[in-house]
Amino acid sequence: MTAPDDRLSGLRVCFAAGLVVLASTLASLSTPQSLAGAQAAQGAPDGMALYEAGCASCHGSDGRGAAADRIAFDDPLPDLTDCSFASREPDADWIIVSKAGGPVRGFSDVMPAFGEAFDDNQLQAVMDHIRTFCTDRAWPRGELNLPRPLFTEKAYPEDEWVWTTSANAEGPGAIVNELLYEKRFGSRNQVEIALPFGFAEDSSTPASRDGGPASDWGIGLGDIEIGYKRALLHNLQTIFSFGTEVKLPTGDSERGIGSAEFQIEPFLALGQILPGDAFIHLQAGGGLLSRGHREFAGTAEHDEDVREAFFHAVFGRTFTSGEFGRSWSPMVEVLGSTHLTGGARTQWDLVPQMQVTLNTRQHVMLNVGVRFPLTDADVRSTQFLVYFLWDWFDGGLFDGW
Amino acid sequence: MAGRWGRGPFLSCALATVAVGAGWTFDERTAAEVAEPGAVTGRIVVAGGQVRFAGDPPAGAEIDMSADAYCRDQHDETLMDRPVRVDPDGGLADVLVRIVNAPAAGTAPDAEALLDQEGCLYTPRAVAVRVGQPLVIRNSDATLHNVRVVPASNPGFNLGQPLRGIQSTRSFETPEVGIQVRCDIHGWMTASIHVLEHEFFDITGEDGTFTLPTLPPGDYDVEAWHPTLGTVSERVSVTAGETPSLTLEFSSG
Ligand code: HEC
Repeated sequence: MTAPDDRLSGLRVCFAAGLVVLASTLASLSTPQSLAGAQAAQGAPDGMALYEAGCASCHGSDGRGAAADRIAFDDPLPDLTDCSFASREPDADWIIVSKAGGPVRGFSDVMPAFGEAFDDNQLQAVMDHIRTFCTDRAWPRGELNLPRPLFTEKAYPEDEWVWTTSANAEGPGAIVNELLYEKRFGSRNQVEIALPFGFAEDSSTPASRDGGPASDWGIGLGDIEIGYKRALLHNLQTIFSFGTEVKLPTGDSERGIGSAEFQIEPFLALGQILPGDAFIHLQAGGGLLSRGHREFAGTAEHDEDVREAFFHAVFGRTFTSGEFGRSWSPMVEVLGSTHLTGGARTQWDLVPQMQVTLNTRQHVMLNVGVRFPLTDADVRSTQFLVYFLWDWFDGGLFDGW
Repeated sequence: MAGRWGRGPFLSCALATVAVGAGWTFDERTAAEVAEPGAVTGRIVVAGGQVRFAGDPPAGAEIDMSADAYCRDQHDETLMDRPVRVDPDGGLADVLVRIVNAPAAGTAPDAEALLDQEGCLYTPRAVAVRVGQPLVIRNSDATLHNVRVVPASNPGFNLGQPLRGIQSTRSFETPEVGIQVRCDIHGWMTASIHVLEHEFFDITGEDGTFTLPTLPPGDYDVEAWHPTLGTVSERVSVTAGETPSLTLEFSSG
């Protein structure tokens, strides 16, 4: 066992490293950057003229879509001035659609392919012009919507459903599902609610130890979680958010599904785009959980409260199969957590994982990973995890396949 | 999104007649070239055939190009959108005439076929290519066209052609008659692409005439296809020394 004074040192190093990254990022956030600015060098293509020549007939000079009597199709046109819609689509995705036509991302075949008319530079200039249609800079850009790790909360506000299933590889069995719903509101905010439920084997039943048939499985509800998140700062490479999650003591701790403790968990989250389609997520936070609130309701005692701190770091990179194909994002996630009071030591886990887009529109995804305990591996089980993610803002679950 | 191909209510009450008056002549000069031991020697040239339309062609609607000033300024007179183009003599244009059970195919020509956009109209309205033959799709207008090609058996595509002189080349791997082509910006612009596995076909010109390459003697199914009038076919026996002619009648689709 680690001496009380040492037990936090690993975590401290992580927090320190995290703070350095945060500080340098925040410094860079104060410098306004824009793709348009970078392109404004001499001889850069005139995005507005190209848009007028190639796109305005359908999308309208103002980006709202041409009037119905000026075009010869019924398919609805997107409103490119609508920040809520436009801000979340990364340039790269729109360039792919403009190059290869609507069907390449599961959109209408009325959207033509301009790959033989405009080169990448010209299309980037067109994108820069389209970006002027949404004038509210409060909306974080879709580029910052990085692949979602299995544990770490992203800084980017989302509209999605995520179904996660995890199962222990050894020890008492437990299959835990979590259904998570996230909803954006305004330019920077998100609320979420998570409903965990699962099946667990009662570890106190002797038969379960040797996997005999007498094992006692039960179904239970976990700790329902509600959360709020707000993007505080963002530019084209970095997004930094603050959030809070509240865990309600609805779980069945005896079956190991949830802790049945009331917990408030404020956190900071950072998403950073690196060169070469690589990225980093960092999340750090603390948890205040009150253990004895049932017994000591109204007279909560200080030493029954436990303060917890956690630190998550993720490094990943996205690969694309073919020019316009599936996106594969291998990630490795490091999880650290400790109790700031009481005698427990810092726990570390390593979670290698792979996220892949399932459909053409790329708004339905799967992530598969394994959580390896690095500390107390003899008593903590390896865990298999998989999530199924649907970004419902981008279309119905069965759209765009 | 009913395009040209979805329209045509006039068909339900009218009976259109296309007469294929083909002049089949015996070409003695080439007889020796195809002679095989024991085979019938001789060659038939199908020359100067015509597809005709009997009755009054539908009037068609005025094309309103006012939504695009460039298109409007390319034409002095008001253009009519005529799905059925018949010359004063009764000849029917834009009809694909082909032999269905043609002799074995020769190699496809390397020569490019052309589908042009000029004055915000397709030129020609119907273009036929061999399987694998390159088809150049060109915009000769200084305005944006999109060329949306919607085949049933070949992969579809939709080209954005924003500049004058821009062109793309495509080819098709599966035989298919009547592939729809349209511009979603200028709704009156429609055309057909035909993909054939042999060379025994032609598209009728303004006067309804067509020419097919020489055919060995035999029984052949001749099919005439028009984008709104549909298909008419007839069996023809080609024998040395004869000049067969046939009349094909379109009935309401
Ligand atoms: C012939 C009409 C037409 C032209 C010309 C056209 N578009 Fe489109 N575009 C559409 C339609 C219709 C859609 C909607 C597709 C859907 O939602 O299924 C669309 C969708 C898009 C989208 C996808 C938006 C999303 O939902 O994520 C982008 C990006 C786009 N167009 C960019 C362009 C650009 C850039 C140009 C010019 C270079 C252009 N379009 C020219 C018709 C057109």
